[in-house]
Amino acid sequence: MDIRRRNNVTVTGNPQGRAVVLAHGFGCDQNMWRLTVPALAEDHRVVLFDYVGSGASDLSAFREDRYASLEGYARDVVEVCEALDLRDAVFVGHSVSAMVGVLAAAAAPERIGALVMVAPSPRYIDDEDYRGGFSAEDIDELLDSLESNYLGWSAAMAPMIMGNPERPELGDELTRSFCATDPDMARVFARTTFLSDSRDDLRTVAVPTLVLECAQDLIAPREVGAFVHRAIPGSELVTLDATGHCPQLSAPEATNAAITGFLAGSR
Amino acid sequence: MCRTGHRPDPHEPERGDTSDTAFAALLEDSAEELYESAPCGYLSTLMDGTVAKVNTTLLNWLGLERTAVVGRKRFTDLLTVGGRLYHETHLSPLLRMHGEINGIALEIRRPGGGRMPVLVSGAVKYGSTGEPLLTRLTVFDARERRAYEEELLRSRKAAEESARQARADRARLQDALAVLQQSLLPATLPPVPGVDTAAHYHTASPDRLGGDFYDVFPLDGTRFAFFLGDVCGKGPQAAALTSLTRYTLRAAALHDPDPVSALSTLNTVLHERYTGGDPRYCTAIFGVLDPDPVTGRVAVRLASGGHPPALVVRADGQADFLATPGGLLVGVLPDPHFTAAATTLGPGDNLLLYTDGLTEARTGEDRTALYGDQALRDFCAHRAGEPAPALVLALTGLLDELGEGLDDDTALLAFGVPTRPAPGPATKNPS
Amino acid sequence: MSPLNFITRTAPTGPVLEIAGDLDYAHAPQLHAQLPGLDLRPGQRLVIDLAGMEFCDSTGITALLAARNHAHAARADIALAAVPAHTLRVLRVVGLDQVFAIHPDSGAATRP
Repeated sequence: MDIRRRNNVTVTGNPQGRAVVLAHGFGCDQNMWRLTVPALAEDHRVVLFDYVGSGASDLSAFREDRYASLEGYARDVVEVCEALDLRDAVFVGHSVSAMVGVLAAAAAPERIGALVMVAPSPRYIDDEDYRGGFSAEDIDELLDSLESNYLGWSAAMAPMIMGNPERPELGDELTRSFCATDPDMARVFARTTFLSDSRDDLRTVAVPTLVLECAQDLIAPREVGAFVHRAIPGSELVTLDATGHCPQLSAPEATNAAITGFLAGSR
Repeated sequence: MCRTGHRPDPHEPERGDTSDTAFAALLEDSAEELYESAPCGYLSTLMDGTVAKVNTTLLNWLGLERTAVVGRKRFTDLLTVGGRLYHETHLSPLLRMHGEINGIALEIRRPGGGRMPVLVSGAVKYGSTGEPLLTRLTVFDARERRAYEEELLRSRKAAEESARQARADRARLQDALAVLQQSLLPATLPPVPGVDTAAHYHTASPDRLGGDFYDVFPLDGTRFAFFLGDVCGKGPQAAALTSLTRYTLRAAALHDPDPVSALSTLNTVLHERYTGGDPRYCTAIFGVLDPDPVTGRVAVRLASGGHPPALVVRADGQADFLATPGGLLVGVLPDPHFTAAATTLGPGDNLLLYTDGLTEARTGEDRTALYGDQALRDFCAHRAGEPAPALVLALTGLLDELGEGLDDDTALLAFGVPTRPAPGPATKNPS
Repeated sequence: MSPLNFITRTAPTGPVLEIAGDLDYAHAPQLHAQLPGLDLRPGQRLVIDLAGMEFCDSTGITALLAARNHAHAARADIALAAVPAHTLRVLRVVGLDQVFAIHPDSGAATRP
């Protein structure tokens, strides 16, 4: 199987530089990183991809049983690393992808040499003393939201999805498929993401790690960021003065500065 | 009227004459009034989501005072938790990337724990240097629309369930048909001492019962009866006729194994059973194998009722049809003529019975030519001397090659005398 | 697959039914349906003209036999005209050339 095509792999930046893999979270695709890539491209080989079921990946490769656990997404990461024969790469994972990176680094330690966890959360649902910020009913509501947006949403996105797929130069290819996913696959990803519990996996991290959290994040509140930082020995925690769950879009300069600073230090 | 990002300006010159202007003024006394009381919610937020401005319509929906919202709440605070998650994972990145969103389904929280389905559109306002300043959102009441959409989703789920049920029913029906089809044919052929036997049944359509049939069964200590035929039509009626034919021939043969007698008995039964506007008949060859344990040769006596002639393939490569001219379809006339024939099979000789699905298969580029008797004879002559199972296997391959040209069921039944009789039970079961 | 079309006309010998198209599993019931409407009196001959028939399988032959039964029930005769070569060969294989009077064309079939 052609992994590069399956995962819509894009390689850009400096071919001589250390590889940095940018992994999108639940909801959108690799275009999430479009304000991040320019900051990394000069010194790093930048690898972008879409998880199977998201963005411009090969949707026919989607298997519900595989992607019903974060390990399935971690296999995508390892397979992309293998396809490009990456070694000692820096894995930058947004949201749930931060936890996918933890699993991938444990599975292929020679491939992944550092982690940047952007707005991570190892568990979204409250559990005894742990505060994830959500209840199980809240997650059901999100699934309902996905469902109710299926009709209106797909109509709203149709021009972007359908716009000249064979002649990308005519459309804004960067954003063409942004956030538009097959509703059934999105449902699987949502379930896998928000019902996951990866708290124990954090202790397996053995590579330099940067935890980036936002000052105001509904999905990954600060106490979750603190939890991740505490659980990963030697990790670095940076709190960005940003609102929302996507600092790479809402506060790109600060996000880029934190990442490039970490990359310079983790050499 | 409620277009995002467009605030009506009362000083903007109106198109048309002054009476139109006066008329408009009468209806909409001010832009502020229109903003506050528009039939949709208006909301402006800072880039961190903090509400900077909100109209009365939306405040009424929310059941909140202006002072409790402006500068105090973010847009996400007005949403249900599921909506917040959706906002953070989809809507917010999309606004950042595209500068606008259109018709996103969300729910706002209402006083007392209620919720109200809305459709949200929004656009980012940028400063002179292109920096995002604020986001303007319009919020439409989508209660009725959502009820309609839920109805659509319910219908879609019901349709999917029906389709799944239909697939399951179809699979079950095919299973049942396959079982019924098998009951019309022997599961295995009995071993015939000193004779190789082989048979094959090709089904043209998995969900339609075929009308071809064959059988082999012992008559007494040494002799075996066999038959192969084709009932008219397909489907359940044909299957019922096949069943009647099979058991009638078996019973008739035990009473009187003479081939013409057996076919005559079958004719009487079919003719009596099916007369009038819905004639049912079949073509069949019925025969008796009489192996000579001393010489190893097998005497064959058979009779045909309207069936394509059997093919005798000699060990030396000679292949000839065992002519049974003038034998009539079974079941058509009260007193028909059936034609008898006889031959003797020596070592290496094969006798092949087949139905016309094979010889009537359409061949050639445009599928207009027929495979034909001559081609069948040549095909088998090339395989002279091979054991009967090998011949049937080769013919099975031929049927596969004919592909879509083979649009009818086809039955094959072959008997052969082994070249060197093996010790003990030398018979092989059919494939 | 061609549709099946019928034209009925009357000759001195009785009704002539012209069949055009495919007389197969899908279409043969249409021939059955034609039979009750034929004006066929005792002693007459029903002529079935097959000049326009493009295909005939075993269900087509069943329909022809049903026509024969219908004619005999009306104490009338039946004849086939202009049987295509392939169908004629099948009729011979199954012995029906002895059962049906077969004429080269409907002109010959309608000669009293």
